[in-house]
Formats: sequence, structure tokens, C-alpha cells
Amino acid sequence: MNILLFLIPITLMLGVCGLIAFLWTVKNKQYDDLEGSANRILFEDKIEK
Amino acid sequence: MNKCLHCEKNLEIHQKDFCCNGCECAYQIIKENHCESYYISRKINAEELSLKPNLEDELDILEFVSVHSNNEFQIDLMIRGLHCGACIWLIENLLKKQNNVIDARINLTQKTLRIKWLGEKKYGNDLIKLITKIGYKLFPADQEILRKIEEKFDNKIFKALAVAGFGAGNIMLFSLPLWFDYDLEISGATRKLLHLLSSIIALPVLIYSGRIFFISAFNSLRARLPNMDVPISIAIFLASIVSLLQTFRGGQNVYFDSAVMLVFFLLIGRYLDFKARKKAFNIASEFSMLQAGFGRVEIVNKIRVLPAKDLREDMVLLVAVGEKIACDGLVIEGQSHIDNSLISGESIPQKVQKNSIVYGGSINLSSPLKIKITKNIKNGVLSQIINLIGNIENKKNIYVRIADKFSKYYTPIIHILALITFAFWFFYFKSNWEIALMNATAVLIITCPCALALAIPIAQTIAISNFLKRGIVMKTGETLEKINNIEYVIFDKTGSITIGKPILKNIYEIKDENLKELNADDKEFYLKISASMAKFSKHPISQSLCDSFEGELDNIEVKEYSGEGLEANFGHKKARLGNAHFCKINEENSQFIIKNSLSNSIANLKCYMNFDNKNIIFTFHDELKTDAKMVIDFLKKINKKIILLSGDSENEVKRIAEITGIEEFYWQKNPLEKAQLLEELNSKNINFMMIGDGLNDAPSLALSTISVSFSKAVDISQNIADVIINSSKLSPIISIFLYSKNTLKIMKQNLFIALIYNIFALPFAMAGFVVPLIAAIAMSSSSLIVVINSIRLNSKKI
Repeated sequence: MNILLFLIPITLMLGVCGLIAFLWTVKNKQYDDLEGSANRILFEDKIEK
Repeated sequence: MNKCLHCEKNLEIHQKDFCCNGCECAYQIIKENHCESYYISRKINAEELSLKPNLEDELDILEFVSVHSNNEFQIDLMIRGLHCGACIWLIENLLKKQNNVIDARINLTQKTLRIKWLGEKKYGNDLIKLITKIGYKLFPADQEILRKIEEKFDNKIFKALAVAGFGAGNIMLFSLPLWFDYDLEISGATRKLLHLLSSIIALPVLIYSGRIFFISAFNSLRARLPNMDVPISIAIFLASIVSLLQTFRGGQNVYFDSAVMLVFFLLIGRYLDFKARKKAFNIASEFSMLQAGFGRVEIVNKIRVLPAKDLREDMVLLVAVGEKIACDGLVIEGQSHIDNSLISGESIPQKVQKNSIVYGGSINLSSPLKIKITKNIKNGVLSQIINLIGNIENKKNIYVRIADKFSKYYTPIIHILALITFAFWFFYFKSNWEIALMNATAVLIITCPCALALAIPIAQTIAISNFLKRGIVMKTGETLEKINNIEYVIFDKTGSITIGKPILKNIYEIKDENLKELNADDKEFYLKISASMAKFSKHPISQSLCDSFEGELDNIEVKEYSGEGLEANFGHKKARLGNAHFCKINEENSQFIIKNSLSNSIANLKCYMNFDNKNIIFTFHDELKTDAKMVIDFLKKINKKIILLSGDSENEVKRIAEITGIEEFYWQKNPLEKAQLLEELNSKNINFMMIGDGLNDAPSLALSTISVSFSKAVDISQNIADVIINSSKLSPIISIFLYSKNTLKIMKQNLFIALIYNIFALPFAMAGFVVPLIAAIAMSSSSLIVVINSIRLNSKKI
């Protein structure tokens, strides 16, 4: 059962990392304009001045 | 037939690639900037959306530019005319390709554009011009409203949902082994460790995500109006306390997993509700921003653009053709026609000249005007009507939603049951207080309105998004619930049941004091002449003349006499098109003749032409929408009473009522009289649906149980309306009735399922059989059934 002592903290840490990453995307306003993003993904050209 | 390369409108034969200079100019700009791929990737429907640039549109936005640092500037604009992803690509790329522009970004949900640039402030005007030249309309966005949106709808619920989801998932790691430990093989120490780990995840999650319910419950208690969040909070709180106690005393069962799962499911329902409300608010704020408007004023020979709220008495307002007049005022220079339909509901343009009074919200149609402002925007007629609406909104009966009605009885019952459970175990079975409390908590958890909280928002979200796909914007879910109670359906005439545009009906010649209908060839001949002239004018009648003629128009030079008519030479024959006086026709005399000759339908709208010494009269009328009869028949079939309410004349209203088969109709009602009539219905507690589009309908729309408006209607009406139809068709009303009924049915089924589950599970909880595993299965399965049942809505036909 000792393996649990390693695996449990690792699992939890990975989970927390995912959660933090997700919260960061929320804070970064990546979900504010879902309609726009859905269209933007189809643009391909780079802009040259 | 060839199509215009830019706007895809059908071309006339003499035109080569473009229908107008504006389109050619737009095409050039796009080509010069190497953005032609826009034309390939876009999807437009030229019938519904006009991409024709209006070259007269000029906008000075310097007042609205904000300065970030020394030479970095930023502006937020509302943008109109976006139709697909290609538009975003085109606008952003076009702007980013300009020197000095650092960033340009469109928010398609909010329909706003933010531009940042370096260098000079006034450069902003050039950037704006570039976008208006390719056919989009821009308005400065009201910063205050944008900020309000951000404050009101931060991502609090979304974040809480994410954290709860994380908790609900990860806590299973420690709960699963315990759930299936039937024979108690896990040792006490391991069990305690697993319980402890659960609590480490659960407590922060419950505090963070649960605060949404705690705060709401606390506020509702302080207001002495306990809501659904009170039992939820009590259940979460009790479950945490009992579980924590059990953890430290080495007990067998803890309810951390149930509590976290409960919060997760409840937040899903809450989030769906929140999203629907946010969308409604976005739509409403978009309109209020457009409505805010601005005006160009002349101050000491310089022209400045000011927001409408900063316009003061005695300022001189310049109004270009096609522009909205911002404030009430007096014309001091110029002669024109104005579209006053916003205030009066009349579709016939009104002629104005020096010293005429004009009202804010009217649109200038034929030539530029200078107007001295007599009332600032707060005291104008427009704001008076808006205030009236505000008062009505406050007086309106508050509708109690199904979920609230339900929870009013539900909440006390489950609390009493929990208490009974505790008392029963403690006093009757003489068990210790821990077990009694555990069982009481289990009752609260199992009866917690998980499925109930999902039952309505899920069905509502699916229904609203399906409506949206069919071009029906439903602002609140309440509408879906209210529709079954509707007894009366009330139609406005102009623009709602009719097209709202003059349509050519017939052409006559005045000959020897008599009207003579022309034969087909003559009609064609005169129509061609008139249409060739009319294409130079923006007057609705001119546009109608152009629309009625199909084929090639003569290329001629036309002189416009503002407020009078048009003059042109065909060879050496002179033609005049306009009012009677202008065409040298005795107006009184001709009125008399017309009245005598056209007995049954007196033409309200006429236009005269004098050509080659012949006097021609064009008569127009407003036609029914093609699907009007169908909708009226449907409403009659489902036993709704129908009323036609109009500001128009008796004859016209009677004519429309006869064609459509509406038995109850009222004519010549001004906005206040319309509202009074509806207030009478309101006082009798009759629920009614009103369909209208003009500002004159706005107070009536505000009074009605459900109000429906059109996307072409005035901003205020759209703002008030519960439902906006994204076309000018009437048939979506049938869909609204049928599909709402289906949705309501599903909602009630969902509530029933949730209730049955509770009734079934309750005895087990009270008897102390509900261990965490049972609670988890019961909770998730009932929620799942409700979701699946709601998805059935997708298969129902709209």
C-alpha cells in the first residue's frame, strides 16, 4: 500500500495543474467570444504589412 | 444575370461589374490590400443583407478615442453588418495591414471592434473610413455600458463550476474503494486516510464553489424571502460538518463526495441559466448603445461630433441625408422629407422646411438640414415615450416561474421530513445523536433539488438555442413558460402584419376631369420613365417605383427639387415627378377626382407625373405580408382571440382586417390610446401577446405578457420585446407557439421525473439505507435522465 503515498500526491498535483491551467484560460478571456473563436480557427493567412 | 462583384445584387444590363460607385470603391480597397480571398470564403445572402457601402456616411470619432500612453490610441466601436467569419478576417486583416495599427480585434458575440494604433489621434478617422467604405456600419461604443457588462457578468460562476468539476472528479479516487468495500476489508487506518484525503479536496471546493449558494441564501434570508438556495446551503453545510466529525472519529461513512457532486450538478444548471441571461443582456445593451447615438454640431464654424447626451439647447445640428435627427428642434435651413414613423407610426414621409418642428429619432430622407435644438435629449418627445415605458415596466405583474412555484412548497416539506427523521431515530430508536444526524443529513442530500435545478435550465437552453437557429431570438426563458396562458394576440398593422413599405398599385391618367386606368403598354412606358428618374431619390415612394420596374432604365440626368420632386429631360420632352403642385396639377381638383373614381379603396399614397402634357397618377398601398393570412388562421385554430390595433385610417385598417379575417380592430389610435386599451386587458388579468415594430408600439409592447418585434423594428421596440424575429416574416409566430408548448411539456416531464425519484428515494434515506454509494448513483442517474429527456427536444420540429 506504500505506493499510494507516492501516487496520491502525484495524481492530485497533476489534477491541480490542469485546474490552474483552466482557470488561467478563463482569466485570459479565452471563453468570452466563442462565436469569434469558432470562426477564427479557419483563417490561415499571416498578415504582411 | 450578372451579379455585382461586391454586394452580389443583380446587375442591370448596362452595368458591367458593379452596381454602384460604392461597391467598386470597396472592391478596389480590398484588392489593393490583397484580401480578395474574402470574396471566396464569405457566405452571404444578398437578399437579406445589404453590403452596399454608403459613401455619404461620415463619422468623426475623435471624441471617443482613449489615449493609452503618449502616442498609443484605442477606440471601441459597435459594428453592424457582420455576417460570417470572413468578415472578421477581412476587417482585422485590412486594419492590421495599415501602417501604425498595432491591433484590431472583433468580438463576434458582442459585435464590437477594438482598434489600437500609434502616432496621431486623428488617424483613427481614416481607419474608420476604411471600414465604412467596404460596407460596414460603425458606431462609437458606450464605455459605460461595456464596463457594466464586464462587471455584471464576470466569470465567477464559470470558475466555480470548473473547481467543482475538478473536485467531483478527483474525489472519486478516494471514494470508489470505499464504496465497494462491502465486507469491510479496508483497515481502519487506510479508511481514515482516504476520508482525510477526501476532506482535503472537498472542503476547499465546497467553500469556493459553494459560496455562490451561501451568499445567495444569506441574502434571501436577510430579505426574509428564503429561496431554493437555503435548503441547498443547509444540506452542503450539514453534510460537511457530519462528514468531518465522522472522519475524526473514525466513522464508516462520509458524505464529502455526495456534497461535491451536488454542488457540481447544481452549478451546471446555474451556469446554463446564467449564459442565457448574459446573452439577453448583450442583445439589450447592443440596442441601447445604438440608441444612444450622437449628433454633428456646428460650433463657431467648426463641426464636432458629440454624444447625444451632451447636445444642448440652441446648438446647431447638421443632419445629412439618411441620418437620424438626434434631438427635437426647429429647422433653420434646408428643405427635406423626414421619416417620422418612429414617433407617429405613419409610413408616409413628412415634408419639412424652414421653421418646421422636427422630433428626435426621425430620419432625414432627401436633403441636408440645419436644425436648431429646442429641447435637449432628456426633455425630448423620444425620452418622454421611453420614460413612459420605464413606468410601465415597473407596474407590470411579476410572473412567478414554475421552478419558484415548485420550490415554495418543496423547501418546507423536505426540512420537516429531515427533522422527523432525526427525531424518529433519536427518540424512538434511541440511537445516538450521530446516527440520527447522519440519517437526517442523508435525507437532505438525497432530496436536494439536483435534478430539479437541472430540469428547467437544460430544457430552456436547448429550446432557446434551437429558436436561435431558426432566427428567433428569445431573450428570457420565462417566455416559454408564459406562452400557454396567452388568450389574446394583438397585431400592430404597419410593418407588423403589412410590409410597411408603399407598393405600387396602379397607374392612372387624369383626362377630362376623370381618372382613366392606363393599358399595360402605357403603364410599362410611364413606369420606365418614372423609375429612371426615381432611382436618384431616397424617398420611399421613389424606391418603390424603382422596385416595381424590371428591365433596363434610361440613363438620364435628373435634377432634384428638394421637398418637391424630380425633373428630367427625355430627348426634348420634359418630365416632372413629385407632388401635385410641382407637376402643375391642381391638387384639390385631383383629390376630388380621385375620391369620385376610386370608391372602395381610397389611395392614401399618391405620386404625380407630368410628361408630354399628360397628367399621370401613381397610387400605392401597403401590402400584407405573404404569410399573414396563414398565421391568423393558425391562431384562430388554436382558439386565440385576435385584435388589430393601428394608428392608420379607418378605411385602411378595415381593408386589412377584411382580407385577413380579423373581427376585432381599432383605428387611429395613438401610442397612449393603444397602451390604455391594453391596460384594460391587463387589469382584467388577461394574458396577451403583442406583435409590433414601431416606437408607437413600444408602450404597448412593454405592457404585454409576451412582446414580439422584428429585427428591422426600431431599437427601442427591440429592446423591450421578449422575442425578436430575425426577418420580417410572420410565420415564426407559429413556431413560437408550437415549440414553446413542446418545451413546456418537457419541462413538466422533467419536474415529474425529479419528483418521482425523490418520493422513491426518501423512505430509504429516512430508514438509514442511503450510504454514499446509493446517494451518488441516485443523484447522477436522476440528473442524467432529466438531461436525456431534455435532449429529446432536438428531435421536435420547430
